[in-house]
Amino acid sequence: MRIYNRFIITLTLVAGFINALLAFMGQEDIQIFFVINLIAYMTITLLYVYFNPRARRALDGVSVVFFGAFLVIVAMKVVDIISRR
Amino acid sequence: MRQGTLIILTMRSLLNNPYRWLGLSLCVAGAVFSPLAFFIVTSVPLTAVGLSAIMLGFVCVALANARPYISPEACQLMLKTGMENTSALLEELNLRNKAVYLPSLMREGRPQALIPLLEDADLMHIKQKLPGRLIVRYGANPDDMAIAVTTAGSINIDLLENSPEPTSEGIEDAVNYILTGVLDIASAVHIISQDGLLRAEITGARLPYENVWYERCLGSPIASIVAAISSEALAKPVRIKEESQAKGKISVVIEVLA
Repeated sequence: MRIYNRFIITLTLVAGFINALLAFMGQEDIQIFFVINLIAYMTITLLYVYFNPRARRALDGVSVVFFGAFLVIVAMKVVDIISRR
Repeated sequence: MRQGTLIILTMRSLLNNPYRWLGLSLCVAGAVFSPLAFFIVTSVPLTAVGLSAIMLGFVCVALANARPYISPEACQLMLKTGMENTSALLEELNLRNKAVYLPSLMREGRPQALIPLLEDADLMHIKQKLPGRLIVRYGANPDDMAIAVTTAGSINIDLLENSPEPTSEGIEDAVNYILTGVLDIASAVHIISQDGLLRAEITGARLPYENVWYERCLGSPIASIVAAISSEALAKPVRIKEESQAKGKISVVIEVLA
């Protein structure tokens, strides 16, 4: 299962790098952290094209959950912008 | 008593899968750490670390459910059994010729390997569909006989989601998908087409070439998979011309016939 290990290690390193970079830049919005981590996850998952169909289906399920959380953040932002007006 | 046994069995099944164990640990650690970091330490970057741990935990649990149902040892046992049986047949018939891999359209539904009974057999011009039997006649002469066997490569064609493209890139993609993604027996595959030959270089192969009777005729399981996919993609018979191993790399040269 070396391809799974490589995938998990890549995700860990990229998430660590993104969090460190955003912290270094002084970012204080947790939603920004989440959204950028989500984009990195989606990109890396797409780059691993040789996953077997079962792994691909399982990761698609996880992506749907994460994307649901992303939509909640977008909805909260939209409500926030509308209520300010 | 029964509940206790059930809990022990559930815990054992959880711990048996390292990805599930890692995933649950990351989820629990992230779920505990994030609120502490957000409300008590009031540090957004540390909260983000907790969120990342939860995301990684979800990924690990998902991958745990995508592991194969049967153990690698059981798969190896079945592969060895099939190879020993075919090897016994080849030794009994004293066949030492290189096998020709035929695409599924030349057999009845499944690609197979053809081992000619004669050493100087001319298999360059097989065009017609051959009957789906163990002993087949491939030419007009009475001596044009061969045995047709199913190899590891033949079975793996069914695992491909789409038919491979008849180019070296298409074959490389299909072989990479099977060897690295589905079977996880190699790290990477590179294929180039040159002078009617396909040259494949497989790195990180975990089923090395063994100079035994079976592999001298049909190639190693990895070469067999490359040959079967190449034959299916090009819709032409192919033969493993050379196979060698050096510095953790397996090099396979495939000759395209017809």
